[in-house]
Amino acid sequence: MRSMKEWLDGVRHRKYVGVAELAEQAAKILSVGGYVQERGTVTELPDERTVRYYLSEGLISPAEDKQGTASVFGYRHLLQLLVVKKLQSERLPIRTIRELVGSRGERQLERLLLSGEGERKTGSGEKNEALRYLETLLRKPASAPPASSPAPPASPARSQRSTGSLPASISSELSAPDAQHSLPQAERDSWRRVEIEPGLELHIRASYRVPRETKGLRRLVQSILERIALHGGRPGKGES
Amino acid sequence: MSQTAPRVEFITERARLAAGREQTVDVLLRITAPELETVAGHRPRLNLSVVLDRSGSMDGVKMERAREAARYCIDQLLPQDRLSVVIFDDEIEVLIPSQPVENKTVLKESLRRIRARNSTALHEAWVRGGMQVSEHLSQEGINRVLLITDGLANVGITNTDEIVSQAGGLFKRGVSTSTIGIGGDFNEDLLMPMAEAGGGNAWHVQEPEDMQRIFAVELEGLIAQVAHTITLGLVPADGVRLVDVLNDFELGETGRYKLPNLQAGSPLEVVVQLKIPAQPSRTKLRLLDLRLGYTPQDAKAAEVVKQAFEVEFDEESAIEHLPLRAEVGKAVQLLMNARARREAMAHMDRGDFASARGVVAASMSASAPLFARMRHDQDVSDEETSLSELSELLEDPSRGKDSRKRLAYDSYLRRLSRKLR
Repeated sequence: MRSMKEWLDGVRHRKYVGVAELAEQAAKILSVGGYVQERGTVTELPDERTVRYYLSEGLISPAEDKQGTASVFGYRHLLQLLVVKKLQSERLPIRTIRELVGSRGERQLERLLLSGEGERKTGSGEKNEALRYLETLLRKPASAPPASSPAPPASPARSQRSTGSLPASISSELSAPDAQHSLPQAERDSWRRVEIEPGLELHIRASYRVPRETKGLRRLVQSILERIALHGGRPGKGES
Repeated sequence: MSQTAPRVEFITERARLAAGREQTVDVLLRITAPELETVAGHRPRLNLSVVLDRSGSMDGVKMERAREAARYCIDQLLPQDRLSVVIFDDEIEVLIPSQPVENKTVLKESLRRIRARNSTALHEAWVRGGMQVSEHLSQEGINRVLLITDGLANVGITNTDEIVSQAGGLFKRGVSTSTIGIGGDFNEDLLMPMAEAGGGNAWHVQEPEDMQRIFAVELEGLIAQVAHTITLGLVPADGVRLVDVLNDFELGETGRYKLPNLQAGSPLEVVVQLKIPAQPSRTKLRLLDLRLGYTPQDAKAAEVVKQAFEVEFDEESAIEHLPLRAEVGKAVQLLMNARARREAMAHMDRGDFASARGVVAASMSASAPLFARMRHDQDVSDEETSLSELSELLEDPSRGKDSRKRLAYDSYLRRLSRKLR
């Protein structure tokens, strides 16, 4: 079975003329990819009508181009549609979905879509009470900052996350960097997040020094590969 | 009633009570979990998250021992179990995301990367560990976060009551929390209540060398666990008064006491004091109705055992000839000593070491008859060792932190009728 990532790689540069074409592409990825949701109240696969509804609700951005009278949609629109369906299957209210999807770029949407892939979750996306509870604890601001340190700067990302409940996969992704921002400046070293290639990022501390000798480098590469394997990454296809 | 129903015994010092006078009687309630089938590999599935402090103070021997203990833990787990490891200082890293314990070598190898660093974001790390467990919540297995720290929560949420109540909230939703405090600088007033509210165990590791042994005890306890969410309701008969429950269990909202999890092979001993009005000789009286609520490990719903305690009254002279059941006196003394330890702590907190020493000395002399009579008993000899070590520790005010932890943990273990070491 093709992974979501492989699907996305194949359609990155495609354009869709008209709402129907966009809906058809998303439905194909969702049905063939086995991402179909089980709930009765939401249409299982997006059709023309659902896409129009999402457009009117602002869940999908308006088309930027026209071809004759038909709107032309692109990769970002497709991602928005897929993310909306994914979040709906995780039983998030429309309001929360709109906040999550609205202003995000392609990279972030991809991340939302790919997060949690390959994991075996309990109850296929349906979150248990324990997880929901812990997520509310994570979103709760610290009641009292430590007396010895200055108050943390207000974080816009935190207030944005105060509505609705996020699926574990997403909230952990969003809140991990956030947690660092909530630390007082003095206790934080400066970190940079760098994308090595799609699906792989490095988080580098400013004071980090790359080992010089070959032995050290080999150990580093080995350790990175082990970590990727540990976190569920699988070797790709192609020459070795 | 299921096969997992615990057995309850009511034991008084003599099998009958004296007639003709009002009296206060100690009743030992012994709650025994059924033995587990000991077929190899037949045990509840474990879903664990080890949440490990790597703040600067953990550097050196402590970190090495913690790593060894984690490796030991990996060795003990089966492929059907799940393990995750979260490490934290001011930042939190999911070192090993929750996964079946299949490739032990790779898992152990990844522990090598842990290095001690900054300050302590204990709360968020605990939440992260909880999330690792919750994402794969096992209905019939045991879901537990094992928090290991040598320090104080000083990043993020640091309010003790808040963290404790959250641990209680998570336990209600199926994930329990155990805590291991290492050395002399952690906050026992956070870690013990957190474990108690969290439905797990609190351990104090004085020497890093003890780490692996504590892990072993914790794992054995998990494997032996047969029921959780244990509640005890006690209703005395008309005219009878429930004077005291010596274990000082927390009272739940429904007026029932909250008891620790039931483990096979470790009966839970509860002592209640009843004040009973004078009764005529040769009569039988129902003194107490007991209601024990519990949730078997492999079930979702709570079950209940109801039992009444009836006792016969007889002439004083006849009572004297009945055999003495020494376990009642022992249980009473151990629980009184547990209270004394908490009293000594309160003195210490006011800076009054002399009174703290006085309380421990008084416990020593009150226990002397027990020590003389039952020296062969493991609990009794442990108690004697504990008290004499304590009085020695208390002589040295510079070791105040160690004394306080010793007092706190020994008292806690006794209340829950667990072994001291």
